[in-house]
Amino acid sequence: MRPKTLLRIARWEATKGFGGLDRGAVAVGVAAVAFVLAVGVVGVVGGVAIEDGIYRVGVEEDSDLYGPVADDPAFAAVEPNPEAIDGGGLAAGGRYDLYVEDRPGGARLYLAESGGEPTEKSRAALAALRGSIDRYNDRRLSAEDNASAAFPVTVTVRYVERGGSEVVAAGDAGDASGADDGDSTTDGGAGGTDGSSGGGATGSDGGTTGTDTETTQGATGGDTEGPIGAPSLGAFDLFGTAGTTGTPSDIQPPFPFQSLVLAFLFVLPLNFLIQAYGSSMLSERLGRRGELLLVAPVGRADIVFGKTLPYAAASVSITVAIVAGLRLLGGEAGLLSVLAVAPLTLLFLATTFLGSLFARSFKELTFVTVTITTLLTTYAFVPAIFAETSAVAFVSPLTLAIKDLTGTAVTPGQFAFALGPPTLVGAICFFFGLGLYREEDLFTQRAIQHKALDALAERIRRPRSVAAVVVLLVPFVFVAELFAVALLFALPVAVSIPLVFAVIAVIEELAKGLPIYAGFAHDRYGRTLPVSLAVGAAAGIGFFLAEKLTLAVQLVGLPGSPVADAAFQTGFGAPTPGVIALLAFAPLALHVATSTVTAAGASRGRSTFVLGLCSAVLVHVAYNAAVVSRVV
Amino acid sequence: MIEVRGLRKEYGAFVAVEDSSFTVDRGEVFGIIGPNGAGKTTTLKSLAGLLEPTEGSVEVSGEPADARETRRRLGFLPEESPLYEEMTAVSYLEFFADLYDVPDDVATTRIHDALDRLELEHRRRAIGDMSKGMKRKVAIARSLVNDPDVLVYDEPASGLDPLTTNYIIEFTKELAAEGRTIVFSAHNLYHVEEVCDRVAIMNEGRIVAEGALGDLRDRYGATEYRVFTTVEVPGASAEGDRYRRVVESMADVESVRKAAVENGGAIDDIRTVEPTLEGLFLDLADSEGRGHSDSEATEA
Repeated sequence: MRPKTLLRIARWEATKGFGGLDRGAVAVGVAAVAFVLAVGVVGVVGGVAIEDGIYRVGVEEDSDLYGPVADDPAFAAVEPNPEAIDGGGLAAGGRYDLYVEDRPGGARLYLAESGGEPTEKSRAALAALRGSIDRYNDRRLSAEDNASAAFPVTVTVRYVERGGSEVVAAGDAGDASGADDGDSTTDGGAGGTDGSSGGGATGSDGGTTGTDTETTQGATGGDTEGPIGAPSLGAFDLFGTAGTTGTPSDIQPPFPFQSLVLAFLFVLPLNFLIQAYGSSMLSERLGRRGELLLVAPVGRADIVFGKTLPYAAASVSITVAIVAGLRLLGGEAGLLSVLAVAPLTLLFLATTFLGSLFARSFKELTFVTVTITTLLTTYAFVPAIFAETSAVAFVSPLTLAIKDLTGTAVTPGQFAFALGPPTLVGAICFFFGLGLYREEDLFTQRAIQHKALDALAERIRRPRSVAAVVVLLVPFVFVAELFAVALLFALPVAVSIPLVFAVIAVIEELAKGLPIYAGFAHDRYGRTLPVSLAVGAAAGIGFFLAEKLTLAVQLVGLPGSPVADAAFQTGFGAPTPGVIALLAFAPLALHVATSTVTAAGASRGRSTFVLGLCSAVLVHVAYNAAVVSRVV
Repeated sequence: MIEVRGLRKEYGAFVAVEDSSFTVDRGEVFGIIGPNGAGKTTTLKSLAGLLEPTEGSVEVSGEPADARETRRRLGFLPEESPLYEEMTAVSYLEFFADLYDVPDDVATTRIHDALDRLELEHRRRAIGDMSKGMKRKVAIARSLVNDPDVLVYDEPASGLDPLTTNYIIEFTKELAAEGRTIVFSAHNLYHVEEVCDRVAIMNEGRIVAEGALGDLRDRYGATEYRVFTTVEVPGASAEGDRYRRVVESMADVESVRKAAVENGGAIDDIRTVEPTLEGLFLDLADSEGRGHSDSEATEA
């Protein structure tokens, strides 16, 4: 690969359409982008206001209820006219949905009625008014100088990770949470103790007279975030939930909703980028446009990465712009967010590249990009939802972005675990895709299975190269097995364990068998028994060695999941020497034996390959049932 | 200059080209003709380094055809004109000149020179807005931006109107006159006769005949002599007030003359009919087809 050539192609890819664009089209495009950005910013910062003024309330300005009505945009305060309630009721269809009549000692509320019954809208208005009054009262209490008078009871909530080893002592009066460090003002009785517990969501009120008045701003321990569950985003509070006080009903589980929404901003542009990228790649193939690039004195990698670079650069630029925007608005986003999005960019582009090589029309490409968008967005988001509760969340790089947005540190191990697999899978997709970037696969309507075999065979030159190809497939095996675990773990163990044994066997034998067959089908080696033995051994050894990468699962652990144990053998407890020996050599023997069976079949043709593969799967399932089930 | 040895190209179970060998000398114009599916395009793409031979070798000046340096000195024109239609002609040619490491000033001169010679107007118009003939001219100009020694042209005038076709054939002759080595395929055999020094006739993936046009005529095509007599002779057919007999040698002509004299007449006219490339091609293709179906001996 030559950087100069690569940059030439990148520049061309980024600018080739300019010659065909007139100024009007450019102006319209710029205006459209500006409009979308403006709407986005207004929507994010200002929120949407489709409910503004939907409830009309008749209320005097000197009424106690005027404040809650006037402060809530859902209400429109309307000048009250007592004639509206002359008959002892408020008729629907008039000027008011609610009517406040101030009386000595209180206020009476009238709901608009129809047929003697309050209308649905007036009931909704009443419910909204109750919520508005609560929020209004909270705001007023929060504004009190004497916080202990406004909030005489302090509860410190501290979240701990599920399955952690920390022992929580209820009623602990210590200040592990830092609860006593606040600038308290004492109001009332002396000698009270801090009522906050040392940890646990069940923190109890430890004293009845104690009036420690610390304001529970921020997380008080570990990875916890905001005081009422929602993560704190520092000065940038998207949903206005970063208040320091509230009622017990405001305490929610630590769901990083705000962070997820903001993190979505990072992933959203990728979905548009891959549409353009996939189209560009496919248009090289349709009509044979890319043929002349292949004739030019440039390498395949120059062409592919030259064409990819503008899209990758656009993604990084957009990410940096979003980070800068969030920082301007007071958020915590920084370099970690950019680094978190980079492997996602690589993964989106790499899978789109590979998909565009398999697609035979724009219709098929649409299917490919939609599939990629759905799968990868799910992959990025679903684990990230559990960013505050489970280490498994680090399967997704987006979890790093959420940590970054919430100002929480990550360990190097978490960083590597989040970024390593997508980076590796992306690189391998490009590696195999480059094998298909040639005349015979680009410009012909070859069936998908033939192209898949071509991609594998392109990297096979002799029997031992099968080992390298099998190693490269192991990340895909890992992903497929994680999917299997994710799909099966909810089932009863009696069902899920046998299923996972079977699925894992199929996935692993396919990963070994397909490169073996591709080599035979492309005459990369002879169809003899010694060659079959050599190829089978190479595939088995390669897979065995690479499979140990799955031990990375144990870095973060899939605690308490028997299905995960069955898939990855993570839960051995204290292994005995015998178990260690068994786990060291039995899988090696298994993989070599099964891949040799597959190779023997593949050497004779397709149908015998299928037969050999099925036999290998059966042996593998039997091994899983007999050996793995005893050690997990 | 170009040496193809034992070329075989398979697409799965399909053999597109089988055991094809030929050489092309520097400055020579070599034509490849054959029916659809004969293996012409596969052979040309192997020459351009686009296809890796399943067996055999393709070399240009002793280097493999797919070597980067070989590609740098070769200009390839595929049968279709796969252009980037959103680009203008000039920006398109500048991009390819850049890929071939042509200095900017040289590229500018070369591009405008080529477009002048091809009489291409509207150079700043998007290629997608051009006519088919104009696009073909842009494609030909692209094949020249690197000033190649070797040109590989696959059906350069395919699907164009007669005027543009003639123009492109004449332009190809000009390129040949500049001393470039050209490998050329065409369906229209008249074009091949016009341009090529030597030809290879392909059928079903094999080269069934190869050589200079005169040699091929001598080898495979019989010159016909149409002898017109004033009286009837054996084997003759009446044609107006004369009789016509077709023979294949001057000895036969002499026999006809004697027969006419014996019958009290004489030869009135003799016309010589030279074999055309098309006739040769049809004869060879036909005999190859029969050979494949009838016996193995023809293949050998």
